[in-house]
Amino acid sequence: MMPTTPIRAPLASPFESFTDQTLADRAADGDIRAFEALVRRYGPLMRVYASRVLGSNDEMDDVVQESFITAWQQLPTLDNGAAVRSWLMRIVSRKSVDRLRARRPHLNVDLTDAPAPESHSPHRLAEVESQTEALTRVLGDLPEDQRRCWMLRELAECSYGEIAEELELPVSTVRGLLARARKTLLQEMEEWR
Amino acid sequence: MMNPSDELAGHTFEELSDYLDRDRTPADPSIDGFPECEIALRGMQRLRRTQRALLRKDVERESEREDSWVNSILQHINLEARAGRDIPISHPSPTARLSVTEGAVRGILRAAGDGVPNIIVGRCRLDGEVSEPGAPVTVRVDATVLEGKNIPPLAEQLREALYTALSQHTELAVEAVDITIRDLYQPVPPPAKAKASSDE
Repeated sequence: MMPTTPIRAPLASPFESFTDQTLADRAADGDIRAFEALVRRYGPLMRVYASRVLGSNDEMDDVVQESFITAWQQLPTLDNGAAVRSWLMRIVSRKSVDRLRARRPHLNVDLTDAPAPESHSPHRLAEVESQTEALTRVLGDLPEDQRRCWMLRELAECSYGEIAEELELPVSTVRGLLARARKTLLQEMEEWR
Repeated sequence: MMNPSDELAGHTFEELSDYLDRDRTPADPSIDGFPECEIALRGMQRLRRTQRALLRKDVERESEREDSWVNSILQHINLEARAGRDIPISHPSPTARLSVTEGAVRGILRAAGDGVPNIIVGRCRLDGEVSEPGAPVTVRVDATVLEGKNIPPLAEQLREALYTALSQHTELAVEAVDITIRDLYQPVPPPAKAKASSDE
């Protein structure tokens, strides 16, 4: 089992209890400690997001660092500090896809580098662990726009409007892509049962 | 592509997906209770649970990493990007020029605010020609207050603290300190000491 306790002692920073809005507002004003609290609060999630897109951990540090540098520069333009989480996730989503494209310009952006499950045999797929592996695999098979939509919705928890803005698509298209991604994922999941 | 089908009680899969994202509110009687729809919705919910369980596990693992990556990010941050305008400070020598940056003054305001319990300062703005000595300046501050506390006395305490700090550190002709209470915050339990002890 995963330990439920943090390995590092919790830092005695009052900032950890501040709301997203307060942290974003203070960071926008130049408060580096508030920014640090945002890095600690959302950095791990952003790292996971980047690793899901890039399929490896090698470039994760770079992508997340670039994302936070961009975030620091652009924080004063964020109107609603309470939305900083999805705003950060959109930045890391963009940077991850950029990195993927730069890595293999000759190929369509795809998740073929995603960690492949070791075995597809039925008895392995019955286990919980391989369900998550299978989810990664099936996601990798989705068309890029569907996958990006789905990740922005389910991992980044962006609203339809935010996804539409990020992907420069009408909301109705986002709705359709999301539904198609879910339908495919669901069909695959039913096969695992 | 995704046409209404009899299998989904006349709904498209897209409509059901949308309904799920609206947290099934307002309740739609043409969806709720129809077995085909429930199966699809339950499937999508199961998918979401699987993905969230996986995500939680991965985020936990990432959270336990060393701090080096945090420090590396902070080292690359350009603090000067927030300096803002220069605010002059007089000096006995006619040849000396002293100034403090707007960013530093905002820092002073935050620090002063952090000294007042049960209220947290958010954004701070200096409105006025701060670069011109003696020009009237209005200070605008957003704050959040601990839930259950009486707001007017807290705001007054904060206003006093801000005035004092500004008069100590700057020569700004402060005309007004406007405080906007944007929100209330919840009391937070102290960092998980009880939980950590089980680790020992």
